[in-house]
Amino acid sequence: MKRRNLLSLLGLAPALLAGARTQAQPTDKTPKSGKSGAAPSGAQFTALNPKGSPPPVKLIPMAPRLDTVHGKTIYLVDTGFMSGGVLLQQMQIWFQKNYPDVTTIFRKKAGAYMEDDPPLWKEIKANGNAAIMAIGH
Amino acid sequence: MATKSFADLAKSNASKRGMPHIRACFTPHPVWGKTAEQLMAYVEGDDPVSGKPLMKEIIDGLTVPLTAEDTKTGMMDVNVGPPIYGPDTLDNLQKHFLDNGMTDFLPIILPTPEKVDAMLKGTSHQPDEVVGKMAAGAYAAWTFNVRQVAVNAVMAGCEPEYFPILLAVASSGMAALGSSTSSFAYSMVINGPIRDRLNMNYTIGAMGPFAQPNAAIGRAWTLIGKNLGNGGIPGDTYMGSQGNNTNYNNIVIAENEKDSLWKPYHVQKGFKPEDNVVSLFAGEDIRQGHGARRAGVLENPMFDDQISDIFRTLTSQFDALVICDPLTIKRLVEQGYDTKEKLTEWLWKNTTRTARDYRDSAFVYTFHYPRALRGEEPYKTWYNCPEDTQIPYWPKSDNIVLVCAGGQTNPFFQVGNLTYRTSVSIDKWM
Repeated sequence: MKRRNLLSLLGLAPALLAGARTQAQPTDKTPKSGKSGAAPSGAQFTALNPKGSPPPVKLIPMAPRLDTVHGKTIYLVDTGFMSGGVLLQQMQIWFQKNYPDVTTIFRKKAGAYMEDDPPLWKEIKANGNAAIMAIGH
Repeated sequence: MATKSFADLAKSNASKRGMPHIRACFTPHPVWGKTAEQLMAYVEGDDPVSGKPLMKEIIDGLTVPLTAEDTKTGMMDVNVGPPIYGPDTLDNLQKHFLDNGMTDFLPIILPTPEKVDAMLKGTSHQPDEVVGKMAAGAYAAWTFNVRQVAVNAVMAGCEPEYFPILLAVASSGMAALGSSTSSFAYSMVINGPIRDRLNMNYTIGAMGPFAQPNAAIGRAWTLIGKNLGNGGIPGDTYMGSQGNNTNYNNIVIAENEKDSLWKPYHVQKGFKPEDNVVSLFAGEDIRQGHGARRAGVLENPMFDDQISDIFRTLTSQFDALVICDPLTIKRLVEQGYDTKEKLTEWLWKNTTRTARDYRDSAFVYTFHYPRALRGEEPYKTWYNCPEDTQIPYWPKSDNIVLVCAGGQTNPFFQVGNLTYRTSVSIDKWM
């Protein structure tokens, strides 16, 4: 499926997900009721939309940014996918080499990748300035 | 941070969770299987999506001031199109459903208001009654009512008398399409008198395309997951790397209660024999028993041993659903397994592997190791015992489910690497 079609199914304009600053636009290009594109001789029918009812999305403001990473503590969070921890440990080495005044703390999130880990989020809020999460294969 | 293959998914999921401008960056794909040196090259290299140095992007993501859009609050509606399409020709409407991802890419029965009204006569429940919620991926669940389920039932080719089964399935909230990179399979076991009332096939070719209710009910479950649970959008709500052919209409099993010498599955779950019940399973796949060692033994075939042998090809991430032909059950009863419980207990005790093999198996690192780390048994023991210790495939004998289906043309069995999820009353939705 083309990405544009895919996004239209979400009711989201592709530009929105590309990061452009725009409002979500319905992009459905269907023959809507009363706007038939049919051949004049064809028998006419209507069909019900098979989709369920999505809840509205609550916009969440992003967390304030740092003025600099120098002197800060950054958590590197491994969500448990294969080799994700190895990748973050290389990033830790990179920080030591390029930003020696940054403190990095490596943590493996508890539970499988889909499980929440409130104690870790609490620890990061209390002791860290930022977090980088590695997700996926 | 994710890998390049998940770029669309990351942005789409962030949007659906209320952060359309999330600062995500990406490494090359995959990470799994790479050496530390190769992964250091990822860190020191460019983000393959943006083309910019990865670590500069990360530092910028943490430090570049937010815009007004980044801190916006409020609600954003999600548009799924008008409630009704047309008027238009059958061909144009059929094409519209196909082009907009509302089908399984096979022709559908067009859900005209007349056909949907006829489907609604298959239940006493009101069209606007909320049936449940469903999310086929990591996003807020979609809600749906009786009418919306009926639309999908029509599309799949169901008759109104099948409708209570679909309402029961939909009410579970379980989609038959998962979002994982694994290509999961789904199965339903149907028990009770409704099987005969609908002329479901549970004899010759029980799991094949030989009866309308078996075929259409299974197909409808996939359409329900797509349309009511927003599943099955490749790259967004579906990431199965290779896909699974059973997703077309799933593994529908009407249990052959008539010819089985064992207790029907729904009775095992506490229902009465006269109750109509659908039980749902999810997992990897289904395979024939022919590959078992000693499957060609001519005299005194031992099916307990053969089933155990097939189990050794399964992942322990999911359980085992064994579908036995009535002839196989007769033989097993002759061997002394006059109840399902006796056989599942034997299978559980006698199907083992070394702790080393267990720890090396796929999924264990991702799903069992974290449970071992927090002290959960038996995973903690299985992770800490000596490598040569023999351990069972599953924590309990209950992880093995036996049902009966087949037409007695040969004593065969099939094994699904499938986990029981739930049983739902069909009668409630009559």
